[in-house]
This record gives sequence, structure tokens and C-alpha cells, in this order.
Amino acid sequence: MQAFFFIAFPYIALILAVGVGLYRYFSHRFTYSSLSSQLLEKRQLFWGSVPWHYGITLILFAHLLPVIFPAAAGAILGNHTRLVVLELTGLALGLYCVFGIVGLVARRVPTGSAARAVTSPMDWILLLVLAYQTLSGVGIALFERWGAAWYLSTAVPWLRSLVRLHPDASTVIGLPVFIQTHFISGFLVILLFPFTRLVHVFAIPIEYLWRPYQVVVWNHDPQPPHAPVSPVPVAAMPPTPSESTDKERRQLLARLSIIAGGITAAIVGIPSIGFLLGLRKTPETWRSLGPVDSFPVGETTAVSFLDSSPLPWAGVTAKTAAWLRREGPEQFIAFSINCTHLGCPVRWLPNANLFMCPCHGGVFYKDGTVASGPPPKPLATYPVRIREGAVEILTSPLPITTV
Amino acid sequence: MRLLKQIWCWFDEITGFSRSLGPILSHPVPRARKTRWFYVFGSATLVIFLTQVVTGIALSSAYVTGSGQAYDSLRFINSTTLGRIIRGIHYFGASAMIILIGLHTIRVYLMGSYKYPRQMNWLSGAGLLLFTLLMAFTGQLLRWDQIGFWTAVVAAEQAGRAPIIGSWLGHFILAGNTAGGATLSRFFAAHVFFIPALIFVFLAVHLYLVLFNGISEPPKAGRPVDPRTYRRWYHALLEREGVPFWPEAAWRDVFFGTVVVLSVFVLALVVGPPELGKPPDPTIVDASPRPDWYFMWYFALLSLIPKWSERWVIILGPLLFGLFLILVPILGGRGERSPLRRPWSILLVASAVVVIAHYWAVGIRAPWAPRLEAEPLPPKVVGVTSGPIADGARVFYDKGCEYCHMVSGYGGIRGPDLSDAGDRMSPAQIATRIFSGAENMPSYRGELTSEELNSLLAFLSSRRRVQLPKPPVLNEAPRQTAER
Repeated sequence: MQAFFFIAFPYIALILAVGVGLYRYFSHRFTYSSLSSQLLEKRQLFWGSVPWHYGITLILFAHLLPVIFPAAAGAILGNHTRLVVLELTGLALGLYCVFGIVGLVARRVPTGSAARAVTSPMDWILLLVLAYQTLSGVGIALFERWGAAWYLSTAVPWLRSLVRLHPDASTVIGLPVFIQTHFISGFLVILLFPFTRLVHVFAIPIEYLWRPYQVVVWNHDPQPPHAPVSPVPVAAMPPTPSESTDKERRQLLARLSIIAGGITAAIVGIPSIGFLLGLRKTPETWRSLGPVDSFPVGETTAVSFLDSSPLPWAGVTAKTAAWLRREGPEQFIAFSINCTHLGCPVRWLPNANLFMCPCHGGVFYKDGTVASGPPPKPLATYPVRIREGAVEILTSPLPITTV
Repeated sequence: MRLLKQIWCWFDEITGFSRSLGPILSHPVPRARKTRWFYVFGSATLVIFLTQVVTGIALSSAYVTGSGQAYDSLRFINSTTLGRIIRGIHYFGASAMIILIGLHTIRVYLMGSYKYPRQMNWLSGAGLLLFTLLMAFTGQLLRWDQIGFWTAVVAAEQAGRAPIIGSWLGHFILAGNTAGGATLSRFFAAHVFFIPALIFVFLAVHLYLVLFNGISEPPKAGRPVDPRTYRRWYHALLEREGVPFWPEAAWRDVFFGTVVVLSVFVLALVVGPPELGKPPDPTIVDASPRPDWYFMWYFALLSLIPKWSERWVIILGPLLFGLFLILVPILGGRGERSPLRRPWSILLVASAVVVIAHYWAVGIRAPWAPRLEAEPLPPKVVGVTSGPIADGARVFYDKGCEYCHMVSGYGGIRGPDLSDAGDRMSPAQIATRIFSGAENMPSYRGELTSEELNSLLAFLSSRRRVQLPKPPVLNEAPRQTAER
């Protein structure tokens, strides 16, 4: 169940948001708006909309920035005073949002009002989810204190793992259920995005963000909207002749099928591609190459060591070879055997003091610099150190020459 | 017999095979006349592909996809009689597939068969050509001996030259930080599932299009393709003189396909599969990775182009080839089809064949590769067994000179042949070159004692073709610049 809510559900929400969002943008572009009902009333919207939008925008950025810059966020929160100031600011903004959302709900509640008449079931669901999200956020700020700090070690790694297509919910599954519901309803908001008027967040053009505000004025004294102006939805119109409804129905069915097919393909494809693209990250570890005295000064010897965490079935390929040169009593240098040209293994010619590549004849001097031939760079080196009389080498990724 | 016929009638009645598939089999095709034997390469490629599928499945039943065990499982396959034969068929089948798809591509290009309405036939075929080359590359790697292992590293290094994503791409190919346990599984999945799946999809499209657009009629000089009238004209041609594909044209495909499979089989029996090299142990450093024959020319090309151009060629070369394949049907979708009216196409194919054949031959000799297996010069070449000349011959070997320079038929061919160095250069000139090095020769400054240098100069000066003393000729042979 945890896997569903914290791994499958976020992806489903994102896929739906992007997929259906794009579909809606290309097929019903004029529905990309907030469907403002401001004109239907006097000033009630002001008290709901303004606190809500200012509050939630800042809160959203506060949620997003630590995900993008976790190290910077950690540095900022490391100081107690800064943490308290941030928490208090967040709480204030949260309460501001609560004030706003209450206003937004309230104006739609009175039966007989114009705002109530243009409120669809989807609007109620959205308002409900947003209200829960806001209230639970404030609740967390009050009762599960210092969220700004623990957010960094719980939800941030989880969200980043979702982005990297390597979902890992281990940091969030142990949290109290109350906090988890906040996460889930957050993704529920994302899921609802393309199905509601929430799409106005991505309404293009978005110049409204920086253009001067527009004042809506009635050029005559507006009548308080007693009876609804009967904004009858199109669907409630008397049915048109069966031919055209059939056509519309088939078009709808075809579109729904295409969307369903796309979602199915994404559900199967995204984890598979994510698995394929995932690189197995292995930590770098120090491996012993033997006692210092087993390497004569001034000589270059072939050494081999085990990769940092080889797969059990790697067999001989779990090993890596290197050329270790003892330059002085305490000075060692380890060269990668991979020629910087195309990666073939270079051979050490002890009498000539040269490395020579069998593939295209690249030659390197004993210090790894290019002597002749096609290699564009000196041989790569591994970090080496001496610990308790033994030479140790740091396992490193295979060097790949890039342009 | 009557019972069998009854069963077939019942089966056919409920499946409708002869009604639905029969007309496809006997669809009319144009008479090919003199060029009729040029039309067999495509179907032969298909036949050999199916051979590869069958033998590949057989091999996969014993192959172990583990970096540590694959080599041993191949040794086991090799130790069984039928295993050897299957491996042999798979190997020579791969070679045959490369040759046949190449011939098919050339035939289609020269005959202009990619023109309207068969542009998509060509593009799906171009995809198949690309996938076949990828199969050849990944297949060679699955042999997972020492050369297979280093092929993976070389592939990652080449991908590393891609801009920006190079390093990521290289490690993606290796499936990790180093070539290890995960690497082979990745190539196995590509060779056995991913690329074959793409081949099947493209093949289905390709064959569907061959049926939908009809096989191209032999081109005739002075009869250009006009998209407005072509389809009508083509159908009239079929009405007038079309013959049923089965068996009128198909018998040649079957005959040629049989000859190809038989040849592959005989080669598998007589020559046998490629022998496995040393185990894929990265710590055995004396490895000399070489590609199989089909990529030998590319290996040679990368070795011989100027150093500065390499980073461009590695990435842009394959991209430009792909772009060429895409642009051919888009830019040349109409007009004359006959090669007699398209002399540039003949020239292009001829130059491509000549260039590839040339680089292929050069690749086999690999003159750029040092001969690290060279033995010290025998006394009969040196001429003496003691004294400075004999000492110099030993220095010549010890310092690695012989890996690149040939003397009287011994040694490498990376650098100039020094069999007559004494005729061409004075000792001072030789010493200058030894100290300064060249673009493809390291400098030996600081690596030779004065005794070693003197004996080496004595040895090289004694290398003369002409015994009579001649006035010294100015340095000509090593044409490389002296800077490095």
C-alpha cells in the first residue's frame, strides 16, 4: 500500500497531469482559464482570492526550492534563529492561505447565489482537497514542529528519487499518517490539475504575472444578483438529433481510448525505461595493493584490485588492473591501463620506460604524458595512499575521454 | 492422403488462409528480364535473418548471461559437436547478413527503387540496415572473451566523444562505473530482445510496403518517375505483363536463399566458429582488441584520419551516414531511375566500395599498431654476435624500436623501415631523430646512456642495402614533422 501511495500514485498523478493537460491544451484550448466568476458579484472574491494566491505561491516556492537545492536549504536551516524565523513565516503564510480558502469556499456556499450556480462538482472536489491540503499543512506546522528541517531528510530525498526515476520511499514510509496524508493529497492536487480550473496556473500567455493589474468595474450600479442568471451548461441543452450525438459520442470514446492507451503505455514504459537508464552507483573504496616494500623504487608494476562492490556474478570482470609506479620511498602513482584514445589496455615496456597501446600505437612516457600517436590526453591516474605499511588505491570509474 | 486433404479443407474453411493469404502469395509482379537475379538479395537477407533467429535461440539455451560465466558457457557450447556447428552458422550467418543487406542496399540505390512511391520502403530498410550493424557489433561482444570485453570498453570510449552527454553515455553503455557484472547483461538484452524486436517491427512494415506499393519494375533509361502518373502506369504494366510472384519470381528467391544457407552451413562445418580468445579478465593487459571483419574498415579509418579530425569523425561520421540514408528518398523521390542516367550514383557506390575495401585491407595489416610480439633480431640479420653493432641490435629491441621499425623483415611497420637506414642517414641525423622524436615516435631524450646511443648508432649505420660507400643522401624517409 505504501508503495502505491508513494511510488505509483505520484507517477500516475504526474502522467495524468502532463498527458491530460497537454490533451486539454491542444483540444480544448479555450478552457485553459480560471473561468473567473468575479463579474458575478461585488467584492467577496477579493477577500478569498488575494490572500490565497499570495500565500500559496510563496508556500509552494518554499516547498519546491529545497527539493532543487537541498544543500543550500540545509545550510540556511542549520542556524536555530533562521529556522525559527522561517517556521514562523511559513505558519503565518499558511494561516493567510486558510483565511483565503475559507473565503473562496464561503462565497460559493449560499444557495441561490450566482457563484453557487456556476460551481461544478469538480470545483467542490478541488476546493475540498485544497482546503484539506492547507489545513493539514498548518496542522503539521503546529503539531509536528520544525517541518522545514525534517522535510530535507524525509520528503526531499523521496521527491528527488521520483524525479530521477529511481523511486525510493524509504525516507517517508515511517512518518506519522497525518503527515503522509499531506503528501498524498498534494499529489492529488497535481492529479486534479488538468480536470479542473486549476489549469489556469499554466494558462498561456502568462504575462498576467507581471503586467499591471486590471480593475473590473461595472459601468452601472450592479443589481445584487438575486436569481441566478441561468447559466445553463451546454450539456443540459435539449438533445440534438441522434446522428450528431453519435458522432460526438464516438469522438469522445476514441479520445478516451487513446488517452487510456497512452496512460497504460506510460505505466509500463516509465518504470522500465527508468530501470534501464539507472546507473548503478557504487561508492569509492580504498583497496590494498600489498606492502610498500614489495614495489621497488623507480619501477612500474601491474597491480590488480577488486571493484568497490562487484556484483556476485561478475567473476573475473570484477577486477581492475592498473600500473603502479613507485617514484620515491613514499611517492606512488597509479595509472589507469586504459589508453586515453579509445580505451585499449596500454602495456609497460620496462626497458624503454614507455607505455605502448596495441590498438593504434599511442605511446606514453613513464610519467603518463603523451609521447606520440593519437591519444589526446595523458594517462588517467588513481588516487593512491600509504596506510600501515601497505599501498592503497581508490577504486574509481573507468576513465572516459570526453571532448 | 485423403484424410490429410480433408483436414486441410476443414482447417482452411475455418481459418480462411487460402482465401486471405493466397492472393498475397500470387500477386502479380513485373517481369524483371535481364535483372531478374538482382532481386534476390532482400529475400536472402530475410532468410539468413530467420537462420540467425533460430540458431540464436538455440545458443541462448546454453549461454549464461553473466560476466563471470559467459566465457565458460561458450567453451561448453564449443565442446559439443552441434554447439560448434550452431555457433559456426550463427557467425557465418552474421557475415552473410551484412554482405547481403549491403548488396540489397546497393541494388535498391543503383536501380532507383527508392523513388516514389517507395520512399518509406527505403527508410524502413535504412532502419533495418542500422539494426543489422548494431546486431553485428553487439554479437561480437557477446563472445565475451578478452576481445569481447575490450570491445565494450572501446564502445564506451567512442560514445564518450559525444558532446555534453558523452561521459554519461559511456557509463550507460558499461551499465556502471566500470566494465563488470552488469555490462554483459546490458548487451545481451540489446542483442537478444531489444534490437531483434525492432527488426521484427521494421521488417513487418518493410514487407507490408513491398506488397502495398508492389515490387519496383526494372528501370529503363529515359523513363522517369512522375508521382502523378506512376501508380496508374504501374498497375497498367502489371495488367499487361505481370506474372504471379509465386512461383514465377519466388523460385529464384528460394533458390538463392538455399544457396546462401548451404554456403553458411558448409563454412560452419569446414571452417568452424571463431575461436575464443583469452578469458575476459581485465587484469590480463596484453590484449590487442580487434573488431570482426565487418568493422575492420571503420577501425582502420579511425586510425588513419588526422588526429584533429577524430573527435568530429567519431560522432559526425555515423550521424552523416544516417542523414544520407534519410535524405536519399526525400530529395530524390522522383525522376530518372536508371543508373545509366544517374552516373553520380554509380560513382558514389564505386567510391564507397573502393574506400571500404581499401581500408579493410589496410585494417588487416594494421600498420599503425606496434608489433609487441616481435622477437629480438637473429644474428643472421645483425651480421655479428659481439661488438658495438651486436650491442646496438639488442638496444634496438630493448628500447622498443623494433615494435615499430622493421629491419630486414623483422619488427613492426608503424614507423619507416630501417633496413637501409645507414644508406639514407648520417649518424648525426639518426641521433637527432632519436632525441627529438616525431608525431608518432616518442623522444628518447634521457632514456639512453652514451654507450647505448653509440652502439645503437653503430647498428643503424651498418644497415645498408648497397655495400659500396655512397655520398650520404639527405634525410627523406621519415616524412613526419619533427615537432611533437
